[in-house]
Amino acid sequence: MDKNVIPVGPYHPLLEEAEYFTLQVDGETVVDIDLEIGWMHRGHEFMSESKTFTQSLYLVERICGICSTSHPIAAVHAMEDVDNIEIPLRARYIRTLVGELERIHSHLLWLGLAGHFIGYDTLWMWAWKYREPVLQMFEIISGNRNHYGMMRIGGVARDVDPSKISKLMDIMDEIEKKIEMIAKAANDDPVLKSRLKGVGVLTKKDAIDFCAVGPTARASGVPIDVRKDEPRDAYDLVDFNIIVTENGDVFDKTVVRLLEIFESIKICKQCLEKLKTVNGGIRNNVKEISAGEGIGRYEAPRGEVFHYVRTDGTNRPVRHKVRAPSYVNIPTFKASCKGIPLADALITLAAVDPCYCCTERSIKIIDKNNESRKIDLLKLSREKTEQIRREMK
Amino acid sequence: MDNYTEFLSLMGDKIVSLVQKEKRIYFEVDNQNIIEIAQHLFNKLGCRLSTATATETYRGIEVLYHFSHDKSGNYFCPRVVMTDKNNPKMNSITPIVRGAEWIEREMSEMLGITFEGHPRPEPLLTGNHPQNIKVPLRKWRSNG
Amino acid sequence: MSWYNKRLAKSIWVYHMSASPCNNCDIEILDLLTPKYDVERFGIKLVGSVRHADVILLSGVINQKVAPQVKKIYEQAAKPCFVVGVGTCPSSGCCFKDSYNTVGKREEVIPIDMYIPGCPPKPEAMIDGIVKLVGVLNG
Ligand code: SF4
Repeated sequence: MDKNVIPVGPYHPLLEEAEYFTLQVDGETVVDIDLEIGWMHRGHEFMSESKTFTQSLYLVERICGICSTSHPIAAVHAMEDVDNIEIPLRARYIRTLVGELERIHSHLLWLGLAGHFIGYDTLWMWAWKYREPVLQMFEIISGNRNHYGMMRIGGVARDVDPSKISKLMDIMDEIEKKIEMIAKAANDDPVLKSRLKGVGVLTKKDAIDFCAVGPTARASGVPIDVRKDEPRDAYDLVDFNIIVTENGDVFDKTVVRLLEIFESIKICKQCLEKLKTVNGGIRNNVKEISAGEGIGRYEAPRGEVFHYVRTDGTNRPVRHKVRAPSYVNIPTFKASCKGIPLADALITLAAVDPCYCCTERSIKIIDKNNESRKIDLLKLSREKTEQIRREMK
Repeated sequence: MDNYTEFLSLMGDKIVSLVQKEKRIYFEVDNQNIIEIAQHLFNKLGCRLSTATATETYRGIEVLYHFSHDKSGNYFCPRVVMTDKNNPKMNSITPIVRGAEWIEREMSEMLGITFEGHPRPEPLLTGNHPQNIKVPLRKWRSNG
Repeated sequence: MSWYNKRLAKSIWVYHMSASPCNNCDIEILDLLTPKYDVERFGIKLVGSVRHADVILLSGVINQKVAPQVKKIYEQAAKPCFVVGVGTCPSSGCCFKDSYNTVGKREEVIPIDMYIPGCPPKPEAMIDGIVKLVGVLNG
C-alpha cells in the first residue's frame, strides 16, 4: 500500500504540550496517527516540590490558562484530602460558582474555534463576543480576567461582594439569552449538521479502553462526571443534570458542550441565589498538613483533572502529581482518526478540545519521492464545508 | 465501603500492606501480582485508570496506579515498590489498559523504570530533544 | 531604515508564536481579534506564516525542546521584524524560571525588542503596547 506521511507541527501550541502529529495517509484517508509531545514541558511537578502549598497553588494555576481554576481546585481538594479538612459553606458556593463560570467560558471558546476550523467565522465571532460578559463577571469577582487566584487550602481567597450579586445575576440572564440564540442557530443549520454528523466517531469501547474523560467520554455514552461521582464543594447542594449522548461523533461532542453550558448557567444562578443568604467565613485557618497522601479531582471543562499530593508533615509536598484531562483524551485520536478523510481530520482533532490555537498551521505532504507539496488543513476543512453548502442549495 | 470489602476478600492474599481512608485505599502489591490486580480492577470492577505516579523514596522507586471506580467515587491505588534504584524494572499494564501507554512512557523517561512488556518503550516528552537526553530526567536534573 | 519603518507602521501584520506558555496569553491575543477589541481597525492582522509578518508576538518561557524551533522561525522572518514579548513569561520567566527545562537566557534564542508585562496582560495593555510600537516606528 502506498502510504504518505504528513507531519503536522511541531509548532503547535496545545494545552501544556505542543504536539507533533504525523498523519499517515493513503490517498485521502488517514490510516494512522502518531504524536510526539514535550514541546511545552515546563516541569511543573518538579517545581511544585520546592514550593510551599500555597505557592504551588499559583504554580498549578499557570499550567493552563483556560482551566486556570480547575487545577487549583483539584490541588486544594488533594491537600484537604490528606487531613479531611472541612471548608465553610459560603466558600463551597464560591468555589462552585467560579468553577462553573470557567466551564461556560471554556465551552464558548471551543464552540467558536470549532466554527472557525470549519469555516464558520461568524460563529467564532459570536461565541467570543458573548464570552466577554463571562470574563467581565470574573473581573468583578476576582479582579482579573484569567488567572483568578481564588483558591486557598480551607476555603477561598476572596469573598463575593454581596452588593455585586444583582449585577452578576443580570449579566448571567443576558448571557443565557445570547447563548440560546447561538445554540438554536447552530442546531438548525443543515450544513453544520451534515458536516459534523458521523465524523470522527469514538466508540464506547474505545472511550473506556483509552480511559477518556469529560465531554469526550460523555459524548460516547460513558456517564462519568466527577461532579456527580464524587461531589465536593457545593455540587451535592445544587441541582443539575449530566449530559450523555450515544454516538461519539463530533456533532455529539458539540451538543454535549452546548447543553452543558445551560447546566452550568443553572448551577451559577443557584449559587448566586444562595450567596445572598448564606453568611459566614470564607476560609478556615489551616496551620499545617500532616504526613500522608491525598487525591483530589475536579471536573474541568475538558474532563477530570487529577492531583495527587504526598506530604511529610513539612510545608512542602514531597510529590505532587498532576494529570490534565487532555493527557488521556489526546491518545483517543488513534481510534477516532482512523479511516476518516483528511479534510475531517482537523475538526476531529479539535473535537476533544485539546486546545484551540493549535491546528491552524500549514503542513507539508511528503510523498515517496520526497517532493513536498504544501497543504493547508484549515483550507481543506473549509473547502469541504463550502462544498456541502453548495450541494445543499 | 462495600466494594472495598469485596475487593479485599477476593484479593486480600496478594496485598502486602494497606492504608484505608474514606473513599480511597492505597495498598502495596508484589510486582508479579500487579497484572492480575489491574485485570481485576479494570475488567471485572469496571474501574478507569486515572493515572499513575512514580516517586523516588528511601526504600526505592515506587509506582502508584490510581484506579477510579466511577460509580461509587472510590479510588483503588495499588503500589509497586522497586528496591533496586539503579535498574528498576516492573511489569507493564499497558497490554490490559491501553490508557496506561503514555503515563508509563513518561514514568520510564522521568525515573528510568523499565516496563516489561510495554508495546512502545520510547520516550514521550524528550524524544527529539536537542540535548539528546539519554539518562532518565531524575539523574539529568541533578547533573546540571 | 526609517522610511521603511514608517510604511510598516501603517498596517502591522503579526505572527503569533507561543513558546511553552500556559495558553492564557494566547487566548488574550486571539481575543484582540474578536468584536470587543477588534484590532483590525488599526490595520493589525494575524497571519499564518512568519514570512509575512512584521511583528512576532512571543508568549511563554522558551523551553529547551522548543528553543531551536523558535530560533529557526525567527531566522525565516523577513527583516526588519520586531519581537514583542507578551506576558510575564518572556519578560521575567514567571514562576517557571527555576525549572530544569527552560532556557536561561531567552534573549540568546530570540532578540526581544519590547515587553508587555502582566499575567496575562489585559487586551487593553496589549493594544497600548502595540500602539507604542507604532509610535516608535513612526519616529
Ligand atoms: S505570562 Fe502568565 S498568562 Fe501569560 S503565558 Fe505566562 S503564565 Fe501564562
